[in-house]
Order: sequence, then structure tokens, then C-alpha cells
Amino acid sequence: MTLEQLLAETQPALLQIKQQDLADISAAKDWQSKYRVLMQLGKKLPPVPEKMKQPHLLVKGCESRAWLMHYHDKAQDKHFFVLDSEARIVKGLMAIMLCLVNGMTSAELAKFDLCHKFDQLNLKPYLSQSRGNGLTAMAERIKACCPAK
Amino acid sequence: MPAFDVQQFRQQFAFFQQQPDWVYLDNAATMHKPQAVIDAVTQFYQRHNSNVHRGAHQLSQQATMLFEQARTSVAAYVNAAHSDEIIFTSGATAALNQIAFGLMHTVLKPGDRILLTQLEHHANIVPWQLHCQRHGVIIDVVPLTPQHTVDLVAYQKLLALKPKVVSFSHISNVLGHIQPVAQMVAQAKAAGAITMIDGAQGAVYQQPDVQQLDCDFYVFSGHKLYGPTGIGVLYGKTQWLEQLTPVFAGGEMIDTVSFVNTTFNKLPFRLEAGTPNIAGAIGLSAAISWLQKYNTEQIQQHKSLLLKEFYSGLQAIKAIDILSMPVHNAGIVALNVAGEHPADVAELLNQQQVAVRSGQHCAMPLFSYLAQQGAVRCSFAAYNTLDDVNRCLLALEQAVEILTA
Repeated sequence: MTLEQLLAETQPALLQIKQQDLADISAAKDWQSKYRVLMQLGKKLPPVPEKMKQPHLLVKGCESRAWLMHYHDKAQDKHFFVLDSEARIVKGLMAIMLCLVNGMTSAELAKFDLCHKFDQLNLKPYLSQSRGNGLTAMAERIKACCPAK
Repeated sequence: MPAFDVQQFRQQFAFFQQQPDWVYLDNAATMHKPQAVIDAVTQFYQRHNSNVHRGAHQLSQQATMLFEQARTSVAAYVNAAHSDEIIFTSGATAALNQIAFGLMHTVLKPGDRILLTQLEHHANIVPWQLHCQRHGVIIDVVPLTPQHTVDLVAYQKLLALKPKVVSFSHISNVLGHIQPVAQMVAQAKAAGAITMIDGAQGAVYQQPDVQQLDCDFYVFSGHKLYGPTGIGVLYGKTQWLEQLTPVFAGGEMIDTVSFVNTTFNKLPFRLEAGTPNIAGAIGLSAAISWLQKYNTEQIQQHKSLLLKEFYSGLQAIKAIDILSMPVHNAGIVALNVAGEHPADVAELLNQQQVAVRSGQHCAMPLFSYLAQQGAVRCSFAAYNTLDDVNRCLLALEQAVEILTA
């Protein structure tokens, strides 16, 4: 499987998350409901084949292993990402991040404020410090994919 | 002696009054401090604060006296032959580093062997590895039995290779299994080895008697014994402490720097470079005095009861894999929810204010042996109650329900 094929399989899932699940998470009143939705998000993404999970794709700062792949459509200046994680919560949170950033231009990506987005989803109070650190690490990794100006 | 009263014991920990909603089951990482320890540290800073061993004034002499009394109280706790055999370090890890570094050249020569076990904490692996690689010393590893205890048959066979040093933990920090340390020391002695016990989890479970064990080194941390962080103990027999090259004095340079030589030439000071953690040592001593007011057997019985309840509750939750044995267990239960990552389980417990640790617990070789990506570790202390056990079980049930929905 190529990265392009994986991306093509991932996009519909991300679209569904963006259109439906984000609202569900935002509306969920207690932690159980939020986590129930979060747990399902990762399951919606197609798994990354083991062969593609190369060590250089590992994101440091997560308690569980997580892999991030990047594809830059230079002609249209659009960035796309694919990820996988051993842990469901991380995968769910990353799915939220990806549905927000996939398809962004370099300029949009550089401006993207993950913390603000998670605030809007009313998620931050439900994330532990270490989980937050892992997210920040992932957000930095994603931003680092922007070509330098 | 009256029965152990867990509520009376627990009341002495201000933490639980400040954080009444939390179930704290991360005691193998660090324990809470009783008021007696907090008071001892505070009072030292408020009334006696001065540097030790070097002031001309009475305050310094008082601080020195308190610090040396702390050494005597630690020596009594482990039943050392002499208080000079107690070296204060920043923790068990620092003590292990001092021993591994200190024995190279003086005792361990190229081609020598040392023997470790498969269930060691990284602190009892990496310091050896670091120096062994550089000095051509070979590391052998004792495998485990199917019950995840040290394989004593294999141990005896590996002792035949005549290791110079045998180093193992008293209690596994991941599984809680109590190792047969007395037997292991005796066998290692018979094979002519120097013996080192990592008592990080052991010193709180059971008062170690280093003379009866006849081990050459025993190390532990204060903060896992109701004491402050940043203080630890390196017990060593005088003959072996004298062989240790100080890790903080510049190694072999010590012979050429006469100033250093004259300042640190005597035990225990030779191995305590710089201003020691005076308040930490006093706090540790207070923890020991306080703990000794309680009966160890009664505390162990209380913890056994908690474990029994926990194990029986776990049987009723579907999909729980338990890695720890219920017997010969000091109060640590490593478990997994089948097919789930331990970080997810721990996060769902965290949401319910149940504090546990997840991951590989600084024991990666053990986890590769167990073929597990990690585990959730619930570790119990004497201040934990049956209510804590029940709340943790309910939280686990909820976590499993959310994960497997």
C-alpha cells in the first residue's frame, strides 16, 4: 500500500468525524460520554500497515507509540497526514487533529492553534497532563512539516 | 499489641485530607509522607538549618549531630554493624550508580562477569551496562520461571560461571514478587561473589537485616519508605565500601588531588561529596522512627487482605489479564485489559481519580520477556483501605466497559 492509497482511504473517515463526531464530543456532558465517542474515532481510521510504521515516523512525547506520515501536494500546496497509535485515546485525539488540519496550506498550518480548537470542543479539562504533552508533541511535529519560508 | 487500625494510620497523612477524592495506588512510584516526616523536615529548616561537618559554630554542630543521628537510625533500621557503613545518596538509583562505577577497576577487571536477573529495574541494569561495556566486564542474566519469579535452578548454573558481583532486587517493582533473597545471597556467597540487593521496594515491606542476610550491599530510596524525595541509602560492608571509587570525586584523580584525599578519605564522608541532603536524611530518620511504632506483621496482614480482596474482585471483571502472582507478593499488581493499551486503561482510571502507573515501569527487559507492551500497575500501601480497593475495581469495570463498547 502506498501513502497516497492510505490517504485516500483515510479522507472519508476524517470527513465523517469532522461533520458528525466533533459535534457529539462537544455536546457530551460527562467524561464517560466524551471518551465513548473518542474511543470510536480511532476505529474509523484505516490501520496503517505494519511495514509502513518506520522508526523515524515515531512521535516522541507520547506514552504509547504513535506514527505520523506526511504528504505534501506541492502543486496545490496542501498538506495531508496519516497516523496510527497503539493506544485508542491517542488515536482518537489524533483523528480529531487530522480532520482539522488535513488539506491545509502551509500558511494555514503554521497559523493553526490546536489548544484553541480543543478548548472549543470542551476537551481540555478531560485530558491529563501527559496526554496534553503528547498532543503538543504531535502538533509540533505536524507544524514542522511546513516548508520553511 | 492492639490490632492495626488503618484509619488511625491514614489520618496521619495530610495528603488524604487535602485530596479526599483520590484513590492513590501508585505507591511503588512514591509514597505519601506522614505528618511526623513533614514536621521533622520543617523543624530542621525552622530551627536548626546549618551546614554539616564544617561550621565552627554551635548551629552547625547541632545540624551535624542531627544528620549523624539520622545515619545511626538508618544503620539500626537495616541492622548495619556500624553507622559508617551507611552512605547517604540521592536515592537508590544514585547508590546503584555509585556501586557500579565504584567497583570498576578496583574489583571488576576485564573478562570478569556480573550476574543480574531478568526482572531488574533499569537502575540495576544500565549503570552496570555503561561501565561493563567500557571495562570489558560481561553481564549474565538469570531467566524467570513461568510464574515470573527468578529461576533458581538457572541461577545456580550461572553462579558456576563465577561472577564477581551478583545484583538483584528484593522485590520486583513491576510484579511485586518477593525474591528469596536470603537463599540467593547464600548461594552467591558460596560461589564467591559480592552481593548487591536493590531494596527500593523491599525496605518498606520488611525491615532488612543486612547482617543476617550477609549481603555486601543493600540500597533503597527514602521516598518509597514514607520519607522525603532526594534521599537514599547505600549500605555496604566496610571492606567493600573502601573499594569503591567515589563517583563524584573524580575517580582515579583522587590520588593526585591531596586536598580531596584529605577531605574525603574516611568513610562514610569519602562517598558523600558536596553538601548532603541534610533535611532529607532527618526526614528519612523520622519516617523510620514513625514506622517502627507499628507492627510490620500487622501491616503485612493488612496489605495481604487488600490484595486478596483486589484479586477476588478482578476475577469478576471480564478481559483482565493479571501478570502478578497473589502469593509472595509485597502489594503490587500488574495487569492488562486484554487487547487494550495500558496507557488507555490508566487514563480511564485517571478520569475516575484512581492513580496508577502504566507503561513498562523502567523494566523493559522484563516486558520483552513477558511479551507485553506494558502493564497497568496498582501498588498498595498500608494506608490504603478496602474502600480504595473497591473504588479501583469499580473504576476498572467502567474502563473495561468503555474500552470494549
